[in-house]
Amino acid sequence: MTPLDSSGALWNLLEHSRNNCEWKLTVMATSAVARETVFALRRQIAKIEGTLPERLQAPAGAAPVDADVTPRDPTADVTPGDLTIVRRGLAVAPPDAFLRTGAEGLDAALSGGLPKAALSEIHGAATRDAGAVAGFALSLVSLILKQGPRLPVLWIGTAEIFREAGFPYARGLHRLFGIEPEQLLFSEAPRLLDALWTAEEAARMTALAAVILEIRGSPQRLDLTATRRLHARARSAGRPVFLLRQAGEPEPTAAPVRLVLSAAPSAPRETIAGPLAGSIGRPAFTVSIGKSRTALPGQFTLEWNPDERSFEERRAKEGRARQERAANPVAVVSASRRGKNPAPASGAVLAFPTVGSPAAGDQPSPGERAAHRRPRRAG
Amino acid sequence: MISHRQANAQRIAALDERAEALHLKRGMGIADARAMHPSIDVVEADPEADRRLLESLADWCDRYTPLVAIDAADGLFLDVTGCTHLFGGERAMLDDILSRFFHQGFDVRAGLAATPGAAWAAARFSGDRIVPGGEEEALLAPLPLAALRIGPDIRASLESVGLRTAGAVMAAPRAPLARRFGTSLLLRLDQALGRLDEAVSPRLPVAPLSVERHLAEPIMLTDEIERLVKMLATTLKADLERRGEGARRLALLLFRVDGAVSRIAVGTSRPLREPLLIQKLFHERLAALEQDIDVGYGFDLVRLSVLSAAAFDMQQADLTGETRDDGADIALFADRIRARLGESAVLKPVAVESHLPERAVAMLPYAEAPQRVSPPKKPGKIQDTSSKPVFRPERPIRLFRSPEPIEVPATEMPEGPPLNFRWRRALYRVARAEGPERIAPEWWREAAGPEDAPTRDYFRIEDSDGRRYWLYRQGLYGASQLPPRWFMHGVFA
Repeated sequence: MTPLDSSGALWNLLEHSRNNCEWKLTVMATSAVARETVFALRRQIAKIEGTLPERLQAPAGAAPVDADVTPRDPTADVTPGDLTIVRRGLAVAPPDAFLRTGAEGLDAALSGGLPKAALSEIHGAATRDAGAVAGFALSLVSLILKQGPRLPVLWIGTAEIFREAGFPYARGLHRLFGIEPEQLLFSEAPRLLDALWTAEEAARMTALAAVILEIRGSPQRLDLTATRRLHARARSAGRPVFLLRQAGEPEPTAAPVRLVLSAAPSAPRETIAGPLAGSIGRPAFTVSIGKSRTALPGQFTLEWNPDERSFEERRAKEGRARQERAANPVAVVSASRRGKNPAPASGAVLAFPTVGSPAAGDQPSPGERAAHRRPRRAG
Repeated sequence: MISHRQANAQRIAALDERAEALHLKRGMGIADARAMHPSIDVVEADPEADRRLLESLADWCDRYTPLVAIDAADGLFLDVTGCTHLFGGERAMLDDILSRFFHQGFDVRAGLAATPGAAWAAARFSGDRIVPGGEEEALLAPLPLAALRIGPDIRASLESVGLRTAGAVMAAPRAPLARRFGTSLLLRLDQALGRLDEAVSPRLPVAPLSVERHLAEPIMLTDEIERLVKMLATTLKADLERRGEGARRLALLLFRVDGAVSRIAVGTSRPLREPLLIQKLFHERLAALEQDIDVGYGFDLVRLSVLSAAAFDMQQADLTGETRDDGADIALFADRIRARLGESAVLKPVAVESHLPERAVAMLPYAEAPQRVSPPKKPGKIQDTSSKPVFRPERPIRLFRSPEPIEVPATEMPEGPPLNFRWRRALYRVARAEGPERIAPEWWREAAGPEDAPTRDYFRIEDSDGRRYWLYRQGLYGASQLPPRWFMHGVFA
C-alpha cells in the first residue's frame, strides 16, 4: 500500500467514523451529559483532523444565531460580531452564506440555515417519499429564486428515478413554487455515471440558480469522492447543489448537511370560515437533521406557503393563529358546518339584530332572511 | 465467383480473373459452370453488403470532392470541377485515386472527362483515360453501344438494324432515331457529348464551409485530433466572420489511412464560431464515441465542415471588456451535454394549452425550445389579468410518464374517492380526499369512440402517513360492463 493509498483509506475511515458518530447522535438523548460527550468527541475529531474545532457551543434554539459566536481562526482579522461560524478548512463564512429557511427552529439548529455554496443531501426513506423530497428541495430553490436573479434551475436525474418516482411536472411546480417552465431545465441520463458527469459539469456553472441531482438507492459510484467533487465545485461556484436520494442509506458524504425528509399530514385548507374539514391544504414536510457539522439532531415539521413562498413551522404557526384569534375574537362569518357542534360566534353579529341563534349551522330560515333586510329598510 | 438468382436459376453475377481465364462468363448458369469446372468456388451475392461497401467508398472519395454520387451498383461519380489543382492536376489526381484504391485492394477503372456520360464510357470501356474537353465524340465513336448508357432493349433493337457502335448511332440522322428508339437514346447521346447538361446528384449536401488538413504522418491520439480541430476551427472562424454567421451544425470527418471514414457531427443551440468552444464540443463527442471510433493506423486527412450556419449576432461588451450572458453559458453547457449524451439529454418544458395533464407540458430538446419567451414585465403597468385563468387547479409536482394501474377494492360512494388502494404491491389507506376534478378527453383532437378515451375523475388523496397522491378513475360506474379502472398519475409535495 502506497502512502497515498493509506492516507486515503485513513481519510475514508475518519469520515466514516464521523458519520457514524453523527448517526449515533440521532438516537442519543439530548441530556446535558450526552451533549458534553458529543462535544468532547467533536473536539477529538477536530484534533485528529488537524483542523480548528468548529463552533462547539450548543446551538441554543432560542438565542439569536450570531450572538455568541467567536471566530476561532486566529489569522482572520475580523471582528467577532460579523461572523457566524468557522468551518473546516479555515473558511470564514459571511452571514449571507446561509440560506435561511424561515423556520426558526430549523435555522437555529443548522446555525443560520443551509449553506448556500455547498452540496446538501436530502434523503427520502422510500421512493414513495419522492414527492416530499422533491417538494422540499424545490421550496428551497424557490427561496433562492425569491432572493436572487431569475436564473434557470437544472434538474438532473437518472432514467430510473424519473420512471420510478415520476417526472417533474412543470405545471405543478409553477403553481406551488413560482418556478416558470422557462426557468427549468431537465437532464435525463440513461446511466448513473452520465448523471454524475452532467452534475459535475453543471455544479461549476454560475449561470444556474441551483442544481438538483436525483439518485435512487445507494449506488457505489456515489461515494465520498464523488460527493466531495460535487461539494468542491458547488463551493467554488457559490451556488447550492441539492443531492436528492430516494430510498438511499445514509452513507459517508462530503455534504455538510444531510436532511431526511418525509411527508407530514397537511393542515386543512384555511377558509374565511376557518379550517375546512377533510380538505388537503398546503404541503407539509417532516424534516429531520441526519448530519450536520454544527447541529444536534432534531425534527421539525414545516409547512410551505405557496402564496408567500415561505416556510412556516407547524408549531409556531398554531401559536400565531391562537394569537390572532385572541387579538380579534369576533368571528367574521360563523362557521356554518352541517351537523353537531357548530362553532358559536363570540360577540354580536354586526349590523343585523340577532334572531334566534345566529350561528346555528344550517340554512337560514325565511325569517332570518327577512331580518337581514330589516335594518336596510330602516336605515 | 459470385452467383445470384435470376429468372429462377442461379447465374453468375460476377467473377474474378482466374474464373474468366476458365472461359466462364457473366450470366452463365451455375449448373453449366459447375459442369465445365467442378472445382469452382461459388458465393451467394449480397447486394446489401455491396451497397454498403460502395457507400463507404463514396465517403472516402469525399476527400477529393464534396460532390460524390453513386452510380448504379458498381460506380461512383466524382464531380472534380475546380478540385484538380489541389492534387496537382488531372493526371496526378487520377493517379492518386487509382493508387490509393489499389493499395486498399480494389481493382478500379477510372475515366476523367468533361461530361459524366463520356467519363462513364471512358472508365468502363477505354480504361484510365483522361478525355480533354471537345474530344468526347472521338472517344465514343469506336465504342460499343453499351457505352452510351442505354437499356438492353434499345441496344438490341439498334443492333438489329445494324448500328453496332456509338459512332454509327452518331452518324445516323436524329429524327428517325428519335421516332424509332425514343428520346432517351438521344438524351444519353447529347449528355455524353456535352450538348445537354447532366447534373450529378451528390449523396450528401455540400457543406457551405469546410476546412481540411492533409497530414503527412497519420494521427492516432484523441488529443491530437482535438488540437487539430481547434486549428481548423480557427481557420473556419475567419470565414464565418466574413459571412457574419455562426455554425449551428458541425461535422468532423476523419479519413483513416486504410479508407474508412468516421463522421462525427455536433449541433449547437446558438450560432457558434469560437474555436475553443468548438473544440470543447468535439471533446465531449469524441469522449462519448471513444469506443466506437476505430483509429486503426491513424487518420491522414481531417476535415471540419459547417453543415448549417445561422446569423451570428454580436454582443456589446461592457467597459471591462466582458460580455455577461448567462444564456450563452447555459447554451454551451447544454450543447456539451448533448454532444456527449445525445439529442434529448437536456430538456426544456414548454407549456401547451391542453386539459390533459400529460399533454399540458411538452418536453423539447434544449436546442429546439423557444429561447426567449416573454419580455420582463414592467412594474408600473397594470397587469392584464383577463388572460389568466380564474381557477387554477392543483397539479402534482411529479407526474408518471404512463399512469400506473392501482387496485381499488372499495369506494365509499360509487363515484367517490377510494377508501384504500394497492399501488406497487403496497396497501395505502386514504385519510383524506379532495375531488373529483373531472377531465374529459379532448374530442377535438382524436376521433375516438366513447370507450376509447373515457372521462377521468381525478382525486387528491392523502394517505395515513401524510403523503399526497393524484389518482384518477377512468370511466364511470354502470357506463359499461367492466368496472372502471383506477390509476396513479402523480405525486404532490
